[in-house]
Amino acid sequence: MADPLEEDADAAGAAAPRQRFLLDDTGFDEVPKKYRRFYRKWQGAGDTLAPNEVICPVCKVVIRSSRELRPGDRVYCMPCMSRLVVVRTEAGTLEARVAY
Amino acid sequence: MSGRSTPAPPTDIHDLDPQQFLEEVHSFDFWFEAVEGYLSGLTHGHKPDTPEAVLGDVERDQLITVLCNYCVGETAALEGASGLIAIAPNRLAKVFLSTQVVDEGRHLEVFLHRLRDLGVADPDSEVERRASRSLQLFKRRLLELVAGKDWEAAIFAQNVILESLEFAVFHSHAQTADPITREVLSGVVKDERRHIGFGENELGRRLRVSPHIRSRIGQVKKELDHLVLETLEETMRHLGSPRDEHERLGRAYLESVERLGFP
Repeated sequence: MADPLEEDADAAGAAAPRQRFLLDDTGFDEVPKKYRRFYRKWQGAGDTLAPNEVICPVCKVVIRSSRELRPGDRVYCMPCMSRLVVVRTEAGTLEARVAY
Repeated sequence: MSGRSTPAPPTDIHDLDPQQFLEEVHSFDFWFEAVEGYLSGLTHGHKPDTPEAVLGDVERDQLITVLCNYCVGETAALEGASGLIAIAPNRLAKVFLSTQVVDEGRHLEVFLHRLRDLGVADPDSEVERRASRSLQLFKRRLLELVAGKDWEAAIFAQNVILESLEFAVFHSHAQTADPITREVLSGVVKDERRHIGFGENELGRRLRVSPHIRSRIGQVKKELDHLVLETLEETMRHLGSPRDEHERLGRAYLESVERLGFP
């Protein structure tokens, strides 16, 4: 049986091409240099998430991808070593949940 | 001779295979390159030229008490993590814990140095004299779980409960601390991210495949919760934090245990 999360991601993927993002180093220094562009610090009130970003619920770092994120996508938080799955909340926003 | 080819890293880190990801983050190479980013150039956990703030007598005394208790927590984690290596169920967990042992030893050392900077002549005796009773009880119980070779309960007590408490308290304290203490705490918080993540993910995986351990972990939580919350209250009182900050930190501590399904 197919994983429903993957189906969700595939369905969304078929609907519209994903936006691509060029990731710059944001000065995040908690992972090896080659991985730094995939993370940034949450700046608190006034900060917003781009379509390629979610917050890690475990350690609160912002996780970045080179493509637009959609429900069902898998992302990794290297600073706290968590595997996460992107979900859409009732409010319509994207959120990451830990996948143990 | 047959060679082993190393696959090129994917363009996006999130494309890694889950096992490849675990092999990468639970390695000494990863740890070394990660800590190099934020610890290189520091002396005793802070920039050598960061100026010492002038603290009043009461403020200084309260900071000493708080740092003494941080030393108790770090000693508990140092002894706990080193004991857990022997009973860790696989190589990746053993390697990760060995990096945690180094982190905890560093934390203890930088806090003891900070106590000396603040004029404490014999930090080890001072830690013993000022240590919170609830934190000492927590430490004793944690080390009993480790000695009893109870992997799940000990990881829960150490890397979920204790580390979540430390992560929340250190992060909050760093916002209002004097410049040197702030730098020391910021470095420690960056290490703590790895420790809380390891604990929650390891235990989450265990609970998924062995749901019968849930009730035993629930008992440990019940037993240790009040010690953690008492320690939190005491520390926040010494730091002079407002009431709503106590509550916010209490909630932050509970978030990780709730994610694991413990109300």
